[in-house]
Amino acid sequence: MNLGIRNPFIKFICYAILIVWCISVIYPLIWTMMDALKDNQQFFFKKPWALPEFPLLWENFSYVWSTYNFDRYFMNSIVITTVSTTLGLLLAAMTAYVLARYKFRGSNALYLLYISSMMVPFVLALIPLFFLMNSLHLTNTWYGLSMVYASSVLAFGIFVLVGFFKGLPKELEEAATVDGAGYYGTFFKVMLPLSQPGLITVAIINVLNIWNEYIVGTILINDPEQYTLPVEIGIMQAEMQYRTEWGPLFAALMFTIVPILIVYIIFQRQIASGITAGAVK
Amino acid sequence: MNSGTAKLQRTIFIASFIVPTLLFFGVFTIYPTLQALYYSFFDWSGMSQHKEFIGLDNFVNLFKDPIIWRAIGNDYFLVLGKIIGIMILATFFAVALTRFNFKLASFFRSTFFIPNIISVVVIGVLWNFIYNPQIGFLNSFLSLFTKEQVTITWLGFQHHTIWMLLPPAIWAGIGFYMLLLIAAIQNIPESYYEAASLEGSSQWHQFWTITLPLIWEQMKVSILNIMMTTLNGSFVIVWIMTEGGPDNTTQVMGSYLYQMAFRQYHFGFASAIGVLILVLSLVTTVILQRLMRQETVELG
Repeated sequence: MNLGIRNPFIKFICYAILIVWCISVIYPLIWTMMDALKDNQQFFFKKPWALPEFPLLWENFSYVWSTYNFDRYFMNSIVITTVSTTLGLLLAAMTAYVLARYKFRGSNALYLLYISSMMVPFVLALIPLFFLMNSLHLTNTWYGLSMVYASSVLAFGIFVLVGFFKGLPKELEEAATVDGAGYYGTFFKVMLPLSQPGLITVAIINVLNIWNEYIVGTILINDPEQYTLPVEIGIMQAEMQYRTEWGPLFAALMFTIVPILIVYIIFQRQIASGITAGAVK
Repeated sequence: MNSGTAKLQRTIFIASFIVPTLLFFGVFTIYPTLQALYYSFFDWSGMSQHKEFIGLDNFVNLFKDPIIWRAIGNDYFLVLGKIIGIMILATFFAVALTRFNFKLASFFRSTFFIPNIISVVVIGVLWNFIYNPQIGFLNSFLSLFTKEQVTITWLGFQHHTIWMLLPPAIWAGIGFYMLLLIAAIQNIPESYYEAASLEGSSQWHQFWTITLPLIWEQMKVSILNIMMTTLNGSFVIVWIMTEGGPDNTTQVMGSYLYQMAFRQYHFGFASAIGVLILVLSLVTTVILQRLMRQETVELG
């Protein structure tokens, strides 16, 4: 019996605030799209909120794609995000399953190690990481960056998945054991399929974080061939001081935003549950 | 004998699931973190193999450096500003979207989270464009009300430029905490509100007597999380928007670390900044927890 707000004035104010915030979120996306279709003339002599003039400059997109090599960066981002998410998820799920189901000497300490690592600022590890990767010849490689990203998402994955595995009924494993499935069979054939919702949630949150990651990418990748999308955007915006190509810059932003927006629209529910998984307990 | 094999099998299984992850984590996360503590005692330009052990000199120099004090001040300014801004708005949104029976509530909820899925680089570029002195949104908007074209360099004030970085940081952060608080409010049994309504208690009164005490735990988590992510990560948006300038006035600890390490090659000194960030975030966590140690109402 939730009656909501009855005072019409207060209701109006609340709606107004919500709508203003909604505009502040959606409008930048719309204006990024519109500005991606403008030439420099329009940036300098028209108001920033003016609609793009005809003919719309769709060329900005193809220009960024081929001249700025976004075809390459896009592929780099896709490969790195896919590899590191998969690797990070598998490694986290294995450890999380054992921590949730088996008691052994040091199991608590191990869990605490992963959890407490989330308190340590990542920026602290940045400098040694750079030299470590250099000496292992892993800088400027997609697999090197993928390994670092996979490692950076382990703690969160273990945290969420331990909770998830603990929530699954034990009878299923016992049944599997009776059926003669070994330890590995039980995990891969029974537990992994059962924990799909948890795995998807963790995977999606990792995809968001890795796709958007900027600072580690900037430090570990100097070879323009190997840039990811955020790294290149950072460089492009720094170069804007010397060459003003606003339209292409906004087109570049679109290439970064749109894929992740699609992922978000499809997986909204999982993202929301992943965020609240740990905190509301 | 048989039980011995079974035990061995179990051990092998556990090890095979624990060790690869731990190795990975050890090499790429734990080892670099410990190494940073070690580097902070050395004078090292990074290029040469030669590191000179200088004990605590990096820390002594750090505290003599006026820029680090400004950076610490800026960091805590952002922490405070973000806690106030985000908590007020996120709590309002969470309550409005769960308790007020608004149409479109789920649409608002999905929309408000969008800034959280956008890369911080993209957010930096967008806000740079808003603040751009010649062609930016803000000046063009203000020019509507003035005779002459407004040309304020929003990111170039001699003082207080750090204020300009607060709106993007709040804008980008709200969605996450809103979702957290929404989940907390949805956990509260509807019967609590029903009983209050029967007694004629207003929405406002219900917020103070039911909602707030029952989501206080999640609010504490949110405040701690805002503090930690700000001290650890807010430098990225600072770096993209101002690079700590003009004249180091918007420097935060993280951006100063980045500049000292990867622009000026003082890797030992920069590592000391990293250690300082770690220490400050732990100390602040403890202090905040003390301050917020109020009786938490447990749901029965």
